[in-house]
Amino acid sequence: MIERLLLFLLFLLGFWGILAKHNIIKKIISLNLINSAVVILFVLEGSRIGNKAPILEEGIAGIVDPVPQALMLTAIVIGVCVTALSLALAYRLYKAAGTFNIEDIRKEVSRK
Amino acid sequence: MKKSAVGSVFALLLISAVVLPVFLSSYQWPVTARDHLELKGVEESGATNLVSAIYLGYRAYDTLGETIVLLVAVTGTIGILKKAGAVLEDRHSFALPGEMRRANYMRTHLLEAVTSKLGPIVLLFGFYVMLYGHLSPGGGFQGGVVVASGIVFLALGSSGNASSALIRQDMLGRIEAVAFLMLLILSISGIFTGEGFLDNPLKHYSSLPAAFIIVLNIIIGLKVGAGIGVMCIIMLGKE
Amino acid sequence: MSPEGLAFAPVLLPLLGAAIVFLAKAFFRGRGAVIAEYTGVFTGLYLPWLALIFLFPVVINGSAVTGVIGHWNSGVGISYRFDGLAWMVNVLGYTLGGAAWLHSLSSGPKGPSFSAIFLIQTAALGAAIMTADLFNLFVSLEVLGISSYILVSSSEKPGAALASFSYLMVSSTAMVFFLLGLFGLYRITGSLSYEGIAAGSGHLEGNTLATAVISLSLLVGAIAIRVAVMPLYGWLPDAHALAPHAVSAVLSGVLIKTPLFALSRILILFPIGKEAGQLMSYAGAATALLAVIIALSQKDAKRLLAYHSISQIGYIVCTWGAAVAVGIGTKAGTLLMAAAFLHALFHAVFKGLLFLSIGSSVDAAGERDVYKLRGAVSILKRSGDKAAIAFFGFLVGALSISAIPPFNGFTSKTAMTYLLKYYGQSGTVLYWMLTVAGAGTAASFIKLSRIYWPGKDEAYRDLPDRKGALAVLPASVSILFLSLLCIAGGIFTPLIFRTVTALLSGSPLSMGEGFSFFSAGNLMKSLYTAGAGIFVFLLATGRRGGALLTKVRERPRSFQGLFVSYALAAAAMAGWLLYHAFL
Repeated sequence: MIERLLLFLLFLLGFWGILAKHNIIKKIISLNLINSAVVILFVLEGSRIGNKAPILEEGIAGIVDPVPQALMLTAIVIGVCVTALSLALAYRLYKAAGTFNIEDIRKEVSRK
Repeated sequence: MKKSAVGSVFALLLISAVVLPVFLSSYQWPVTARDHLELKGVEESGATNLVSAIYLGYRAYDTLGETIVLLVAVTGTIGILKKAGAVLEDRHSFALPGEMRRANYMRTHLLEAVTSKLGPIVLLFGFYVMLYGHLSPGGGFQGGVVVASGIVFLALGSSGNASSALIRQDMLGRIEAVAFLMLLILSISGIFTGEGFLDNPLKHYSSLPAAFIIVLNIIIGLKVGAGIGVMCIIMLGKE
Repeated sequence: MSPEGLAFAPVLLPLLGAAIVFLAKAFFRGRGAVIAEYTGVFTGLYLPWLALIFLFPVVINGSAVTGVIGHWNSGVGISYRFDGLAWMVNVLGYTLGGAAWLHSLSSGPKGPSFSAIFLIQTAALGAAIMTADLFNLFVSLEVLGISSYILVSSSEKPGAALASFSYLMVSSTAMVFFLLGLFGLYRITGSLSYEGIAAGSGHLEGNTLATAVISLSLLVGAIAIRVAVMPLYGWLPDAHALAPHAVSAVLSGVLIKTPLFALSRILILFPIGKEAGQLMSYAGAATALLAVIIALSQKDAKRLLAYHSISQIGYIVCTWGAAVAVGIGTKAGTLLMAAAFLHALFHAVFKGLLFLSIGSSVDAAGERDVYKLRGAVSILKRSGDKAAIAFFGFLVGALSISAIPPFNGFTSKTAMTYLLKYYGQSGTVLYWMLTVAGAGTAASFIKLSRIYWPGKDEAYRDLPDRKGALAVLPASVSILFLSLLCIAGGIFTPLIFRTVTALLSGSPLSMGEGFSFFSAGNLMKSLYTAGAGIFVFLLATGRRGGALLTKVRERPRSFQGLFVSYALAAAAMAGWLLYHAFL
């Protein structure tokens, strides 16, 4: 229970960062936070039905659910790709506006 | 309190009310998929590592989509960075006096000496992770990322001149393009041999049931390694 | 070739084309690279038509190609379902994709990277509509999203990078919520395929039911962002206005509709899905009306078109939601869904046409302000478009979107409003909201057409002849092709409508006894709407109307607002569904 509450708080922390932080780099990091919160939750809950890693050597029984692990592998990679792209966009915005503050960037861009 | 802060707090409260039940749900985790895989997984896919069996067997189509996301992200990131122009002026250069390199940010001789020696070893380890993905933790993607860090090490240790063809952008681009085409051809080949899309076309030719997974691991590893490698090299500001 | 292999052709051929383009980029230089790139695009954008033609007899009688990819066990493997709906959405995507890529040869951006990402985006559209697996839908939507962020940012304007960044942030955040919803449903049902989820969520109660309902609302919310229904529209105007013209056409024409039709596959799994459809239907009607008011206030030509995309998607969501609410399997549901698809198809054609022809015109003039640009016809002629084909395209598109007979917008809007009034929940209200929005649309396009009115074009007389006649040829061909489709679509609507219903339900249906698209009543209604449009236009250009619209245009917009409205929408959807599930 306590783990899930902590993950919930991590999720809220990330959402708050996306909402209220003005620095776009912080926004990108916050996006990673909420993504991680869901990924960890999925893998954690999927491990509640067993206690062995899903590598079926001789005599292994009672493995955890391997499906969440495979799914989250995909989700993590997609998260990395989105992060890389958003950092590149942030770099381009910084070159164009000279700041990382989202409101200043908006003003600067609409002025041009 | 500012108006925007009120909006943020309001939104946060709404969202927490919505997602809280999903986070705290304590419904018994389903066991059907796990039980099936524990009984039949190795027999059906040939891979001892069940995560690999799902990743490149049962749900290989998702993995195809994921490699495409990576391919698009790499292409797009490179395009955006190139459009934004040269790298930022660096005010904290670690370049030694007299060095004539363009890309000399955050670099010392120490870093150079260590990374150039480590690079080949990291590459080798990457290929190990790639090749044994069906038996032990690892696989094409993980191995590919290790290969990419090996490439980055080589690039960091190359003292400005391309001492290895592996750190040239055009070479990495070629590896990536060829690996992507081979991945597609492998996925489609099942349609023509009568097995069906993404079904194992080697079923009747190989005594090793995991052969298809191993081949996919190698190709995905090469593609990921080349893709992430070229992206990192461009972000390093290399020409 | 087996139907199974054919069904994947619309996804795999564009990917193969993209692989060829990447190879061309890596290995060839100069002429060889261009030839290889065009080969790749031909493989990816035009060859799939062959597969679609062969698939038509398979899906026309209501049957579908289904199975598990790779023939794995269905509990873990990925299920797919290529049916009439998937076939139609593919037709929509390839029609507009082919025309838009052709236009990009004239208007840019050119180059192998653009072509390859364009092809991958087309492939993702096909994948999203034919999947029957929740996680695979997640992956398809991410491919779709990431390629469109890049295509939006491929424009030279710095605003495009900001638009792309906002789109990326809000849509990626929504996809995390999608993943959370997927987690909730997997935890309860132990399955990822649609059939497995439906079987596992049959009789739930108490906390479990609440979790399932909230998970569903998270999925719906994430997809509603992509569809840009009110109040989640905030990212769209900038993205669609600042993207390159060809990309704007595809984004507005295809990209915002595919997730909607993919969503209908999920909603029919749950009994509570009908209520979700009902709420979406109301939101759609509100979207249609509000977005048209904002559109009327815009001064940037492409931004005006972007707000009309929101308004028109509102029509589609309204009808689509009503179809889900009455049940897709029933006769009324089939008719409403067919009308929604008809408008999605026709809107793709005329909005693509409008973006491309307006794009050609503003490029020729180098000016996008509706209040400043005049005499665009002679500017077009001087820039190489000797027959002013872009103006002809605009005319056809504007008459279509304003629902003037016999163009295609007239018949699809008539079908939607008629069926909503007849079958929809509180349909009369929806009918009137959509009709008023129609008058606003006409007014807004009278305003936009002023850029072609003669006069004041001396300012643009010194423009250098930037493009020759040869350079505008691909653009003109694509504009003529789409214009032809607008007219043909309007005239052959009864036939198309019967085909669409046959694809959806297996047997052709007609609108109803004694209904005719071109009846005197419908023609009169179109006349009244156009008249009301002129009246609204006069009001809007008056002193008071102008001041009011300036206020609308200058309303405060912020990045934070995107997320606050997302939170509001997610909470509203969850609350609405919980209310109907428990009370």
